[in-house]
Formats: sequence, C-alpha cells, structure tokens
Amino acid sequence: MALLLKAEDASETEEFESTPKIVKFVVVKKREEDHAQPAELTSFEEAMLPHLDAAHNLARWLLRNEQDAQDVVQEAYLRAFKSFAGFHGSNGRAWLLTIVRNTSYTLLKKNRAVDLTTTFDEEIHAAGYESVSPATILEHSENTERIREAMDELPAEFREILTLRHQEGLSYKEIAEIAQIPPGTVMSRLARARAKLKECLVVRIGKEK
Amino acid sequence: MNCEEVTKLMDGYLDGELDPITSQTIEQHLRECRKCEQAYEAHTALADAISRGAPYHKAPAELRQRVQSSLRDAIGVRASRGATRENQALLTSPRTKRRLVLPEISWNWLALAAAIILAAIIASSFLPRLRPPASDQFLATQLTASHIRSLMADHLTDVASSDQHTVKPWLDTKLDFAPPVVDLSSEEFPLIGGRLDYLDNRPVAALVYGRRKHFINLFVWPAASDEAKAPKTITREGYQLLHWTDSDFTYWAVSDVNVNDLQLFKQQFETRTPHH
Repeated sequence: MALLLKAEDASETEEFESTPKIVKFVVVKKREEDHAQPAELTSFEEAMLPHLDAAHNLARWLLRNEQDAQDVVQEAYLRAFKSFAGFHGSNGRAWLLTIVRNTSYTLLKKNRAVDLTTTFDEEIHAAGYESVSPATILEHSENTERIREAMDELPAEFREILTLRHQEGLSYKEIAEIAQIPPGTVMSRLARARAKLKECLVVRIGKEK
Repeated sequence: MNCEEVTKLMDGYLDGELDPITSQTIEQHLRECRKCEQAYEAHTALADAISRGAPYHKAPAELRQRVQSSLRDAIGVRASRGATRENQALLTSPRTKRRLVLPEISWNWLALAAAIILAAIIASSFLPRLRPPASDQFLATQLTASHIRSLMADHLTDVASSDQHTVKPWLDTKLDFAPPVVDLSSEEFPLIGGRLDYLDNRPVAALVYGRRKHFINLFVWPAASDEAKAPKTITREGYQLLHWTDSDFTYWAVSDVNVNDLQLFKQQFETRTPHH
C-alpha cells in the first residue's frame, strides 16, 4: 500500500522537492479535496485583497475602535470567501464592503450601541447652517483631528455614508447597494449627514474661539 | 425651479449625481440667485473639508497577514480534517503558490506566443512583398498598444471636439509640428478629438475618428526623408493598421474596423487634406 501511494505520488511532487517528506504524505492523503480550494483562494485573494484598506477604513469608522475593526475585517473576509462562489458581479469592492458593513452592524448591535438609529433635529441644523463661513470651515478642516472627532460623534449611518462618498468616492448607486437603502434615499441621507457634521464642526469651532 | 427645490437637490448636484437636464436647471438658478450660490459655495467647501480632512484608516500590515492566514486556516480545516495544524501550514502555503502560479504563467506565455506567431503569419502571408522590417513590427506593437490603451483607460482624447478648428490649434501648441486635422463627418468618419502620445521616440499627434460604433486612432508625425512611400497594412491581434506617408507626414491609422473601411478612411482623409 505504501509503495502504491509513493508511485502515484511521484508525478505530483516534483514541483516541491524541497519541502519535507512528511508533507508529501499528507498531500497524498488529501489530494482530492485539496485540488479545487487553492485555486479558489488565489482568485479570491486577487479580487478582494486590494480592497483591504477600504474594508478596514469602513469598519474602523463604523466601530470607532481599532481592535473591533480588525476583528470585523477578518470575519468579513472569511464570510466573503465562503460566499465567493456566488459572486458574479463586477464590483468586488462594493460587494466586499456590503459584507464588512453587515458584519460591523452585527457587532454594533451585539454591543448594544445606542447610535444605530438617528435622532436628528432638523431645526438645529437649519439654525447652524449659515452662521459659519465656508472659509472658516475650510481653515479648520486642516486640523484632521477635529474632523475625525466631529465625524465620530455622528450616528453610524452618517459615518458610513460620509466614508463611502468622501473617502471611497462611490456613486449613489453603489452606496445604496452597500447601505441597503433605496437609491432615492442616498441623496437625502447624505445631505443630512453633511449638515449634521457641519453642525458638529460649528459647535467645535465655536467652543475653541 | 425655486430656491427650496434647489436646496433640496444641492447634494445631488454637488456630487454630480443628477440627470443633465436637472443639473443644468440648477446651474442656471445658481447663476441668477446670489443666496443659493453662496449656500452652494459653503456646501462645496464643507464637502472638500470632509474629503480632505477626514483621516483614512489604512489597514495595518499585520491585518493583511492575519486575514490571509485565517483564510488558509479555513481551507486547512476543510481540506485536511485529520491533519495537525503544523502540517497544514506546510501543506497549504508552498503548494498553493507553486501549483497555481506556474501553470497560469506558462499558459499566458503560450497564449501570448501564439498570438504573436499568428499575427506574424497573417502579416507575412497577406503581405509577402511588403513584409515590414523589424522596426516597423516594433512600431506596430506600440501603435496597437496605444490604440488599445486609449480605449481602455478612459483617455481617448485630451481635447474632445468635432471641430477641426478647435483640435488643430490645440495640437499645434503642444507639438513642434502642425498636423493636418480635417473633420470627415460628411464621409461618416466624424472627428471626435485629439490626443498627445509618445511613439517612435517622439511626441506624436493622435487624431480620433469615429466609424459607426468603432474608433480610429490616426497617429501623425513628421515624415523622415528616407521613408518608404508605398502604403502598408498590418493586422495585429485583430486590429488593422494602415500606414502611409505624404511629403510632410507619416500616418498610421489603427482600428478594429475592417480593412476596406480603413482604406476608405485614408482615401477621404487624403482628399480633404491640402496637397503639397
């Protein structure tokens, strides 16, 4: 039996002569199941690893915590890999970000995050709208820490949409797909997110004066 | 459109997500309404501030490793349930790489080699007497690549205009020669625009023409005195190349239209350019 295995193995193993003998044995035993997997993994990694920064960035903004973000990205990649066979679209980034987003929300819900729903007073935003000049806002945007803090104050759905639009440069259609909202809602949500961010910025600038 | 409607659509306008007609209506309104224009400026400033100011959290290097090794673990679990972890690590990493990368590369090379040989056979069998010298072959490769790239990278034209009197002056200022530019719309080769390119070790003009749904890139640069005068055609990876010269310029037309269309194009172009 052992001889038979060796003979069968001979045609297969010439590519990795340098690897230890014990490996050959395992290879022979598992050859059949093993065949399809690495090819799938390679094409998955080729398609999805280029979006690692985007995945991490979104998770980081949603969770506001580096450790959670990394856990979510790892989990999202595993989930994505499992359903990769069913992915036939052309927009790998949007597909992956949808999974990252869903995984992030699962964790947010688990942590009983209070900021999942938006409570937002239109009156306040209307009042703050004209009080600070564009120049002032621009001037203060040089301070990225201030923008980050203001953005972190926003509810998750606003952080998400601002990241997708301003950092990933995604179209409304892609955003609708990732955030799972009707395409018609994207513009109004983005408008509210920007207004709310402006309000937060204005408050911060006001405090520092 | 009133101010309220404009305010409501401002984000879509800012993001370039509105249909052209609505977009134009808003543009018109902003020109006429100072208040809305100011609001728009403020909004643009805010959008810029977010884009520039919000920090982008790049993935740390260790995350990539972590993701990759967790994917390999996941496969390892599926592929060799009985094996120990150490064995899986030894098994999966070298095996994946060698198994997949090697055959794929050799197939690519084979396909490429086959394509080149095929192109060479086609070129030599169709043009036994005009077989281009090696330098022309190299140039043809450059030309084909430039043509393909112009369609691929969304960079067909630097100056998009069907008006020869727009395209020509633009090219004249960018180049050390003045290429002939004619619009051939009436012959169903509408001028689409012009582009700068770098070929044969010099900057050249690329004129872009349409033919139904196809594009023709016409590369033009000053003729060297010792150049052959006979027109040539070359086929390369499914693209047609047609080369001719006149007393001043050397021309290469590259397209996926058929040879007859390309010959017709040359004919029309020559008829319409002033003779020297």
